[in-house]
Amino acid sequence: MKSEELKNQEYKYGFTTEIENFKAPKGLSEETIRFISKVKKEPKWMLEWRLKAYKRLRVLKEPNWQKPKYPKIDYQDLYYYSAPKSMKNKPKSLDEVDPKLIETYNKLGIPLNEQKRLSGVAVDAVFDSVSVATTFKGELTKKGIIFCPISEAIQKYPDLVKKYLGSVIPISDHYFATLNSAVFTDGSFVYIPPNTRCPMELSTYFRINASETGQFERTLIIADKGSYVSYLEGCTAPMRDENQLHAANVELVALDDAEIKYSTVQNWYPGDKEGVGGIYNFVTKRGACRGKNSKISWTQVETGSAITWKYPSCILQGDNSVGEFYSIAITNNHQKADTGTKMIHLGKNTKSKIISKGISAGKADNTYRGLVDIGSKALNSRNYTQCDSLLMGNKCGAHTVPYIKNKNSSSVIEHEATTSKINEDQLFYCNQRGLNQEEAVSLIVNGFCKEVLQQLPMEFAVEAQKLVSISLEGSVG
Amino acid sequence: MEQLFNFSLDKISNFSEKDSLERKKNLKLFLDSGLPNKKDEDWKFTDLNLIIKKNFKHISNNQEFTFEKEAEFIKDFEHNYIILVNGAFKLSDMSFEETEKVKIDNLNSFEEFNYQSINNLHSLNKALSVGGFNLEIKENYKCKKPIVIYNYFTSNLDNKIINNSNKIKLHQNSELTLIEYNICGNSKFLKNTFEKIEIERDAVFKNISIQKTKTNGFFYKNIKGNQGYNSSYQNYLVTSGLKLNKIEIDMDLEKENSNCFILSGLCLGEKEHQEIKTRINHLAPNCKSYQKIKNVLENNSKGIYQGKIFVKDIAQKTDAYQLSKALILDDKAEFNAKPELEIYADDVKCSHGSTSGSIDKDAIHYLMTRGLELSKAKKLLIKGFLNEIFENLSNKKMKPFLENIIEEQINGV
Repeated sequence: MKSEELKNQEYKYGFTTEIENFKAPKGLSEETIRFISKVKKEPKWMLEWRLKAYKRLRVLKEPNWQKPKYPKIDYQDLYYYSAPKSMKNKPKSLDEVDPKLIETYNKLGIPLNEQKRLSGVAVDAVFDSVSVATTFKGELTKKGIIFCPISEAIQKYPDLVKKYLGSVIPISDHYFATLNSAVFTDGSFVYIPPNTRCPMELSTYFRINASETGQFERTLIIADKGSYVSYLEGCTAPMRDENQLHAANVELVALDDAEIKYSTVQNWYPGDKEGVGGIYNFVTKRGACRGKNSKISWTQVETGSAITWKYPSCILQGDNSVGEFYSIAITNNHQKADTGTKMIHLGKNTKSKIISKGISAGKADNTYRGLVDIGSKALNSRNYTQCDSLLMGNKCGAHTVPYIKNKNSSSVIEHEATTSKINEDQLFYCNQRGLNQEEAVSLIVNGFCKEVLQQLPMEFAVEAQKLVSISLEGSVG
Repeated sequence: MEQLFNFSLDKISNFSEKDSLERKKNLKLFLDSGLPNKKDEDWKFTDLNLIIKKNFKHISNNQEFTFEKEAEFIKDFEHNYIILVNGAFKLSDMSFEETEKVKIDNLNSFEEFNYQSINNLHSLNKALSVGGFNLEIKENYKCKKPIVIYNYFTSNLDNKIINNSNKIKLHQNSELTLIEYNICGNSKFLKNTFEKIEIERDAVFKNISIQKTKTNGFFYKNIKGNQGYNSSYQNYLVTSGLKLNKIEIDMDLEKENSNCFILSGLCLGEKEHQEIKTRINHLAPNCKSYQKIKNVLENNSKGIYQGKIFVKDIAQKTDAYQLSKALILDDKAEFNAKPELEIYADDVKCSHGSTSGSIDKDAIHYLMTRGLELSKAKKLLIKGFLNEIFENLSNKKMKPFLENIIEEQINGV
């Protein structure tokens, strides 16, 4: 990519959509929760569940052990529900959706019109607090696959939701997870029936549009025995001077022999060069490998957000289950990231692999924080961790904080980490062959991240590679 | 709190009026907040409060003792010595050195220990410390023989706590090998030591800690040091045999070209718990730090390594390495590691590695095919695993002595 092109592309998703909003009263209260529940036409048990979480929230304190500190968030100064007015009465088909919304998604490169889509990716588009449209529903239903907004699932499949919601991230977990449990608005629900391989990639595209709004989505994916699903998640937000909170919960459940592959390309607005504005991305993602031989694989490319603070984790309960975590976290300017994973080995012969690449430029701080815990009953378990950090300039920081616990004699843990800058020789070699500094850096960084980029589905890999280059724009020289 | 502790300040002799006020203040500070527990990140893997409560009651700081033992000296190599009894400085013999070049006496001021409190044990130490030794090596003097500190503990120490503080200073271009040799009886007691180390320009300091026999001691030691230009610090920790041992090392590499080595080989037996916690602060360019922590864990033992490398933004060309390796031989044993990097300079080479697992089955098989019994094969592999930390030790007499100590520890398990 040419450098002029790079410059123009600083944050191309920073536009806002002028659309009339329908909002909940400002502030966090029981009233707000009742309001959300009412708008969503939720059954009574769901409201009670939310209120239980809210009760718990009032005694919890925000955690403060993280590296990136942020100014105190005024939870009473936020809107917890914001939806385009046109979505108040849910449109039955795509033709009824507000053309402005469709245009927004087209601009983002997410055409909701099924015919226009080149590849078979089913999309659930979430705009602020509501799901706008879900594509390819018909085809998926034929296979018995449920892919719908979670608000719809609560109404249509209460038994499934009741059984699994909060089973991986309990409502009493920690401050932001509990906050989400109390006020979550929408998100995706996926259920793959036994012995089914989901024929296409499922994808959710999150967009924050309204100002002073927090987005609290909730995703629940259940892969029943012997099934397979690959799920993609993308996100963007307009450029604003204020910091916006995004506190999502994602729960994955894999039963016997099932596999879930979860990929994220996170490109929330990172704030400007001076560190003004940007999204606080405080997300709880956790997967449970409940069944034997099950597998959960997390892949994340974190380029956006003013602060990224999340640890997609795997609880390896079933014997022979596998957990994987591949991550690229790029921070530039004043961005801060504190991310990593937790691999909790409980079953026998469980395996986990962690590959984390952190890149820090400008005045950014990038922390890898992870836990590998092999319990005393998790015999013959195995973990391999590799976390590499790349520093560009001497005003940024790269930190590694791994916690490693091994409680039995038959398991093996290996961990290695390195921190260095871009190799001068490699840069020189690229320059010599006619690449300018920026192109050379982009090439080397892409090579540095290759192991992780390879894990992404085709559609995302190309976008992610570009994103890696754009995110580092202006960091060399 | 009152039931657990029964401290008395009357028994301690003070250097000055000010001291006595300081002690009162610090004792109050300690009693108000108590022992550190696992909620404190630094004590996450060693819940001291819980461990002490389980093992002790009515802990007091009685200082009356009679030293009934004959000193048993190390015969393997010639050395100078310092004798400490229950933490207090008793006598010294520097017959191999020039008298005016090595200064050794009783610690007579706690001023150097007034750095910012690291934890409550620091307050406790400041309140109850009985002093210790104050060792200084003068400019351009290289000690001819190592100095051994015989750290004797009397046998009447049940439910007692010993607090002491030592100071070591190496002036420009001096050299010292200091061996700390713990000799304890069977009493179940606590020890809380704070040590201040100052290594000036071009000085070389080698520090070796050895535990002679298995004991019921619960030890905490805190080392705070700073290093000058082109100075070198090497610390070998071979302290297996204590019920609890936590060593905390906080070293500032203040000037360029200084280097710091921390090497440890531990073989932990029944219910032994050892933690090594380090913080190496790279504050100047071109410094090097190297840490290698090796643990062999048997029955119910617990080994912990918490290491942190901090690299300041101006500390370019830093070379820092951390390695922790553990052999877990029993399903009830546990190894925890937290090797941490905090880096603000870009032109650095910082890395860490950590592995834990069982003995390599193929290696055992290989040795057995060559006629070794299983137990001998295991011992040989463990020996090789631990002795690796001494590979850079140049002293020809010291190395076999230390290897012998390791062997005794392995056989003891």
